[in-house]
Order: sequence, then structure tokens, then C-alpha cells
Amino acid sequence: MAAGTKSGPGALFRRGFFRNPRFDQYRRTWYFLRRNTLAMVGLGILAVIILIAIFAATSSTPWYQMTLYCSHPYGGSCSAGTPGVCVYTSGPPPAPNCYLVPAGHEELIGPTISLSPLSLGPLPLGALSLDSGGAGNHFYSVFQGLLRGSDWSLLIAGSIVGGGALIGLFVGVTAGYYGGLMDEALMRFVDIFLSIPQLLFVIVVGAVVFAATGGSLPFLPAAPAHIFLLIIAFLVTWWPFYARLVRGQVLVTREQKFVEAAKASGAKNGRIITRHIIPNSVYPIFVQMSLDVGTIPLLIGALVFIGFVQILPSQYFPEWGAVAALGSSNVVNNFVTCQLGTCFVPWWQILFPGLALFLFAISVNFFADGLRDALDPRLRR
Amino acid sequence: MRMSVYIIRRVLLLFPIIIGVMTITFVLVSSLGVTQQLISHFGAPPRQAPWLYDPTTSCANLHLPGNGSCANPYYHHFVSVLGLDKPIIVQWAYYMYNSFTFQWGRVNNNSALGSGATGNGQYAFTKYQPVTQVISYFLPYTLELAALALVLILAIAIPLGNLAAVNRNRPIDQASRVLSFSGYAMPGFLLGTLVVMAFTIGLSNISGVLIRTPWCPSGEGPFFEITGSWPSVSNCFGGLYPTWLSQGVISSPTGFPTIDAMIHGQYWLALDTVLRIILPALVITFGAVAVLLRFVRNSMLEVMNLDFIRTARAKGVPERTVVRRHAGRNSLNVTITVLGLTFAFFIGGFPVVEDVFNLHGVGLLLVNAAIYPFDFGVIFGSVILFTYLVVIANIIVDVLYAYLDPRVRLG
Repeated sequence: MAAGTKSGPGALFRRGFFRNPRFDQYRRTWYFLRRNTLAMVGLGILAVIILIAIFAATSSTPWYQMTLYCSHPYGGSCSAGTPGVCVYTSGPPPAPNCYLVPAGHEELIGPTISLSPLSLGPLPLGALSLDSGGAGNHFYSVFQGLLRGSDWSLLIAGSIVGGGALIGLFVGVTAGYYGGLMDEALMRFVDIFLSIPQLLFVIVVGAVVFAATGGSLPFLPAAPAHIFLLIIAFLVTWWPFYARLVRGQVLVTREQKFVEAAKASGAKNGRIITRHIIPNSVYPIFVQMSLDVGTIPLLIGALVFIGFVQILPSQYFPEWGAVAALGSSNVVNNFVTCQLGTCFVPWWQILFPGLALFLFAISVNFFADGLRDALDPRLRR
Repeated sequence: MRMSVYIIRRVLLLFPIIIGVMTITFVLVSSLGVTQQLISHFGAPPRQAPWLYDPTTSCANLHLPGNGSCANPYYHHFVSVLGLDKPIIVQWAYYMYNSFTFQWGRVNNNSALGSGATGNGQYAFTKYQPVTQVISYFLPYTLELAALALVLILAIAIPLGNLAAVNRNRPIDQASRVLSFSGYAMPGFLLGTLVVMAFTIGLSNISGVLIRTPWCPSGEGPFFEITGSWPSVSNCFGGLYPTWLSQGVISSPTGFPTIDAMIHGQYWLALDTVLRIILPALVITFGAVAVLLRFVRNSMLEVMNLDFIRTARAKGVPERTVVRRHAGRNSLNVTITVLGLTFAFFIGGFPVVEDVFNLHGVGLLLVNAAIYPFDFGVIFGSVILFTYLVVIANIIVDVLYAYLDPRVRLG
């Protein structure tokens, strides 16, 4: 086939994506990113987490079919349909797979990591109690919670950040490019949203929507409606940051020579915005987005920790932040009730979810920091 | 422009933002429906007369003839007081008037907060009280915590950021980077829980079952020594709070716990109230420093590359003075601006930290109001309050900025 024809095996290279001058820029960014060890470590951890999430999303057990156990003293039983786990308070184990717990705290079943990684036992990484405690308390294992919740955690964080960035991009580009009165009006609007503390705003929006709809939106089945509500409550508070960021960048970009050239050659506003302004002002958002993805589970966890569980589709929803928050409040509540000297700390309920949350947040932070360095020539070392 | 003119202009610019925030809360409140608005403004109707807010209650309730439903004159009275029977723009005006005159409604009798279902019933005294008054009981605790946290943030972020910039890419810079990253990645509730856990276990290992202190001679358990705004009433106050500390929350005359304890000559107790907010302030600081530290470092790096620094070095000014006087003061502009921008974020962390450490601040009040059934009067009241705090902080930042950099107010 003669050179210059529009088809053939090499066509993708001769035209289209790889001939795009921007492709060299992507390659250069990737080159600088690759040399940054911390960013690569972050990317590696992130890749593992995403693989786990894909596994959880494609496996046959979704979060709402996760096994809820219940604890009962040895010889007792749980209500029908709930698999029970036997517990004992002193002496040798009365039966295999019985767990030692402090008296009156049947919910505090510890982790069972034995030496062989293949025999994790029925409750890997320990139990996460979901009710107030005592016999007949419901729980799932921390491992199951983190596994089954991984896909939804990533999905929720991703949709909030992605949606916020889209809205922010639209508002920011409009304000920055057209300027004048449009800019003033939109930015004052953004200022108003930015002066309400974020967590409070989520609580307010969540509480109002929950109270007004009675806990479920009329047009969707319960669980997706709740997740939708959660995403909406966060989105309302999230986009103004991006709008401000994008506007600042667009103000710089629109003064560049190539924009002037495009205008001189008769391009319309729509084409200038989509072809020149957006591609050249979008990079700072990527950095901010990757930072924010790590923040959202922390914020959801904070909401659950302070008892605003109405934001979740169910008390048992294993979002990572929620899992860590439930564990943390179990630890604190146990301190309130424990007698001194015999304090029993369910440390696994806070250590493993906390570690998962921390690894996720710090990996995106490492990645975002590396990305910022790679994109900004002044910061390259 | 003179400084006074600049300040007045800045304060006037505050109003559009406050009006905008109140408009957002108005939209949210309106979507709650009439009954819920009546409840959050007037408090729940008395238990004997639940039909007060019912538009078509039975005629028997109203002592009117007939056995069907009757138009309720009381309901229509309440509705017209709030302006809910008027067009939406007039409702907005009524709402604005009420918000600006601090008529933020009453604590609902039937909410989790007002009915005493939260916090072991210790907040039941807020029932049916005006929201503004309830907030005024809790606000001083938050202000004390915020003041201490702010001092700690500035005292840690600025020197550490300068040090990191001066020793760029040396171990101290890397250490500050790690600190910054972990501050981003560590949620406040998790860090708070870990701190409480570590100190409770540590104190009980060191001092055994009860800790005897000058302000609590009979001794108090380590957990209650770390959490709470005051020593526990059963152990340390002999079952009764002092007369100036009503309900364990409302202290008089100023409302600020430390100041009140000192006014009443209880210096040990004043020291105790300060000790109790050090750990929560450190938890807040850890998160806020993470944000601030990178900005301080980067602005310091930029300033260090400018010409006047080279001149100062060339004329033989000692390096310490260059860093402190020449570069430090100029990079302070950015620090203050970022502090103003992140103030909303900073104050958003208060509910969580006050919840972990059980401090009687506005954050904990909000946490209790956000437990189902919600108390919308308190929720919206604290949103408006926190917005006021953020906006005022921004004005202070702008004025400081104009003072540090005269170009701002001249330009």
C-alpha cells in the first residue's frame, strides 16, 4: 500500500491519536512521572486497589449479599437464617472455631490470621461489629467488608470527583473565557458555595433530601437511590473548587498567542474553547482530582463516625471510610464502657480499615504529587 | 486608599456572600415542607396539642361543631407569622429578616437532640430553647479550641515550611513532605481515636486505675481525664456541678470555660480545661498543617530566588537574618492567604474532633442535631454561624494581607 493512503496497519501511527502533537506531551509527562519513585509506588498501590475493586465488582457476591454473622455463647444459637459464631469467655476452647472474648462483649471477635496464609479461618482480619454489642450482635469480617466495599468506594469517589470536575470545568471555562459580567456573576456564586464548610454542607443537603424524600428517591430502587443521594450531596459542595481552579488557568490560556491566532483565522468561540482552551487548561484539574479521590472516603468516614449514617444506603454498607469509622466508634465506645485495667481494645477494627484507607489516600497523594511535578516544568528536578 | 476605607469596603462585600448562603439555606428549608418549617421555627407543638400544626385537624380538637375535619385557625396563624402563605419572594424576605435578626428557630422537642436521646440525655436542657441561645452556650468552647489550634498551626507550619525550603531536598524537607502526606491521608476521626486510645492505655499503665490531680483529689479514670470539656461530675465535682456551671455546659459569666474558672478563682480547674483541648487541637493541627506546609515551602522557595535576597546576601547579611527578615516576611503573604482559603476546611473538621474528644462545642451540638430525627433549626443555625466565622476570618486575612503588602490596598 502506498504511503499516504488513509488505511492500513500503520494508519493509527500516521494519523489520529499518535500523530497528535499532544501525544508527545503525554509521553514526556509519562517519562517524568516514571522517574519519580514515589509516584510509581503510589501508582502501584492504586493499581492493586483497582484490581481488587474489579475482582469485587465482577464476583458473584455483591455487598448486600455479604454474610452477616451473629455471635452467641457456646451452646447458644442465633436467630434463624443468620450463621452464628460461638464465643467463650474463659478456659480452653470448648469446640474448634470458637473465639475467646471478654465477658459481656460477644461482638469483640478477634482476627484469626494463622501462620499459613491459606487458612484464614471464617473471619479473616477479625469481626467488625455493626450493632450496639452484646450477644446476638451482627457483624461481618473486616476482610469481607473491605473486599466487598472496594468497588463502591472507588465508584463513589470517582463519580463525585469526575462529576464535580465536569461541572467545574463548564462553569470555570465559561467564566474565564467570556469574562466581564459573566465572570463576576459566576465567581460570586462560587464564592458563596466556597464559604460554607464542606462537611456541614454535605450534612445539610443530605439531611434535607433524606427528610424530604423519606429516605429514598421516588424514581429509583432504594439502594442505588441512596448512593445517588450521597453522590449528589457531595457534588453540590464539590464543583466550586474546580470552577475556581479552571477559571484561573483559563485566564492565562486565553491570552496565549495560539488563541489569538485561532481567533484571527476566524474560529468560532465553541471551537476555540473545545480545541484550544480546554486541552491547555485541564492539567491542574487532573492533579486536584487525584488528590480529591483520596479525600472522599475520609469525609464519608467522618460523616458515619459522627453518626450521620442516613447518608449510607444501609447501616451495613461497607464503604471503606464507613468501615473505618464504624471500627473507630467501636473502639471509642468500648473505652467509655470498659472498666479500668481490663480495657479490651478491638484494635483490628481500626487498624485494618484504617490501613486500607490510609494506603489509598497516600497512594493517590504520591501519584498526584508526581503528576504535578511532571506537568509543571518549574518543579521538575 | 486608606486602610479604614479598605476595611469598610471589605466588610460591605461580606453581605452578598452572607445573603447568598442564606438564600441557599432558604431553598433547602423551603423544600422541607410547611410542617417541618413550622417545627424548626416554633419548636414542636406541645404534647397535649399535636394538632396545632395540622392544617385540617378534627373539629373535636378545635371544640367546633361537626365530626369531620375543620380548618385550623392556629395553623394558619403560625403559617402567616412565618409568611408561608405568601409568594416565594416574600417568603424569602421573611427568611432573610429572621436570619439577620438571629431568629433561627427553636430546638425541636421531638428531635433526637431536644428529646434528650443523644449524649446520655446530657443535652436535653436545650429542648424548646431558641437556637441562637443554645449556640451561644456552645460557641465559646469551639472558639477556645480554634484559637489554640490556630496558634499551633502557625507555630508549626511557618518554621517547618521555612526550614524545608532552606534545606531543599535534604532529609528535613523529605520529613516535612512525609508529614504533609500523612496529614492528607489520615482522617481526623481515625487519628483522634488513635490518640485517645494511646493516651488512655498509656495513662492507665503509668498511674493505675485512678488519676489523682489537684483539681480532682478523689481521682478520675484516664479516659475521662482525656475526653470531655470538664472533669466528670460524679468523681470530681462530688455529684454536683458548681453553681456557675449549669448543666455541665453553660458556664457564667463569660461562657468561656477557662476564663470563667479563673474568674471564680479555680486556677487548677482552668489549667485542666486548657489541658483537655491540647490533644484535640493537635489533631486539628495535624490535618491543617498538611495543607499549609507545602504552600509555605513553595512560596519560600520562590521568594528565595528573587533579586533582593541575592542583594542581601551580597552585602553580607547573615543567612539567618536573610531567611527570617527578608524572605520570611515576604513569604508570609502567601501563608496568610492560604490560611484564609483553607479556613472553611479547617473549621469543617471541628464536628468530628469535638465528637471524638466529647468537647461541648458547636461541632458537637451539630453532631447531636444531625442524629435522626434531625433538628433542622440547629443544623441550619450552625451552618449560618460557621459561614459567619469563615467570612469574618477571610476579612481578617484580607486586612492582614493589605497591612503586609501595601500594593493590595493602593492598587
